[in-house]
Amino acid sequence: MSVNDYIASLQRVERTTLRVEESVAEPQVVLNPASLAVEVAAGAKLRMVVVHDDPTTADLRFTLAEGAQVEMVELFRAEAFAEMQVEQAASSRFKLTTVELGAARAAYTINLNGAFAESEVNGVLTVGDKEHAVMHLRTNHNVADCHSSSVVRGLAGGEAVGEFRGMVYVSPDAQRTDAYQQNRNMLLSETARIDTLPQLEIYADDVKCSHGATVGQMDQEALYYMRQRGLSEAQARRVQLAGFVGDLVMQCGCEELCAALLAALEHKLERI
Amino acid sequence: MLKVTNLHASVDGKEILRGINLEVKAGEVHAIMGPNGSGKSTLASVLAGNEKFTVTEGSMEFLGEELQALSIEDRARMGLFLGFQYPVEIPGVTMANFMKLAVNEQRKFRGEEPLSAGEFLKLMREKAKIVELDSKLTARAVNEGFSGGEKKKNEIFQMAMLDPKLAILDETDSGLDIDALRIVATGVTKLHTEENATVVITHYQRLLDYIVPDFVHVLYQGRIIYTGDKSLALKLEKEGYDWLINDYKE
Repeated sequence: MSVNDYIASLQRVERTTLRVEESVAEPQVVLNPASLAVEVAAGAKLRMVVVHDDPTTADLRFTLAEGAQVEMVELFRAEAFAEMQVEQAASSRFKLTTVELGAARAAYTINLNGAFAESEVNGVLTVGDKEHAVMHLRTNHNVADCHSSSVVRGLAGGEAVGEFRGMVYVSPDAQRTDAYQQNRNMLLSETARIDTLPQLEIYADDVKCSHGATVGQMDQEALYYMRQRGLSEAQARRVQLAGFVGDLVMQCGCEELCAALLAALEHKLERI
Repeated sequence: MLKVTNLHASVDGKEILRGINLEVKAGEVHAIMGPNGSGKSTLASVLAGNEKFTVTEGSMEFLGEELQALSIEDRARMGLFLGFQYPVEIPGVTMANFMKLAVNEQRKFRGEEPLSAGEFLKLMREKAKIVELDSKLTARAVNEGFSGGEKKKNEIFQMAMLDPKLAILDETDSGLDIDALRIVATGVTKLHTEENATVVITHYQRLLDYIVPDFVHVLYQGRIIYTGDKSLALKLEKEGYDWLINDYKE
């Protein structure tokens, strides 16, 4: 099933505001939103897929009440500029899988405002030719006992440029914060570039925070290993690239959509 | 099956193999021993087609074809398997998916239909038993987070899946505890038939207690300087290499 088939089968949200009082089992689809404000009531659960097919700007805001849960997939198939702000009350959970299939700019700000709020962001950016993709992610631990994880992977070929900027801010009150930030990148040509800037700003003393960033090339040893088992060089390259970003999208929460996202990524990777 | 003649190979301009002659026939087991740095792993890599090495002279015939003319993958598809000394991790690629691609690529090369999902799973379960590989490992990323023993078992599992004509096992016994060594070695023995051949590169006699070699070769300074039967391995274990290599020391 392609991403298009998948979203065609779901209910579309056309409004610019949405209040979710009770859990909705079916994922909601939003196409090219210029602006969207979503409120999720205490204990309610929402699943949403946002797709950018137009090169427009988008302004998204999510407010999660106590114990609310949002599981979200955002897909960029056009050069959209999207900003998203997430406000999380106590014990709420926000999970985002975001994929930039080419040039795009996404900026996320997540505010953890209530104890035991959790955020998880898995991001992928893939660029080729002269594309330029940007992902900014700021997670603010404003109170104690919150948990955040952000894992972003970038692939750039041709003369493309990728940019990741991550910031985990831990306020003086946010004791027992548990924050994890990782950005790994792979360059597929000598002219491609990825700039990565993972940052931590910590003002509390009892926290567990880790971050890391790498920029590397394709693993030649792994290519050799796969070819020694009979895969062609092109196949081995595809397998390695899909593996590099694939395990992130495979955690998107919905098996059909994960598979569709992976297929879209593989299609893109053949062109990088 | 394999005929290596006067093989010379170098890496970064440095000659490592300096005239290897070796003939392996179907049904045979050969052991290659020798001190560190003598060129054992290089020989395995050159046969497999590792592009880090350059063949400067000589020939390698496998099933009547000159290996130098073939890509890494075509050598593999013809039935040449290399058990890696250091198996490579491939994040995000499950063992099952990887093996499915490999098995079906090799089938395609032989003009056979790909295996169905059911057939493949059955084959995988069957072959995992040979090396007592935990079936959960096949759902994990290739070699990622595997213990040393699991990695080596996994090499023999792949060998079982691919059923090669010639298996070259590069120090498959290094880093194994006694139980894992027994499992790996008996796995290799189970896979040996009169139609295939095995070349084991090893430092230790104990592997050869399980895999009984027809020939034991001693490699030193890029040449096979001595060939004997299985008793040679025992003698080397006891006496070391000095009695052999003294005449060759430069």
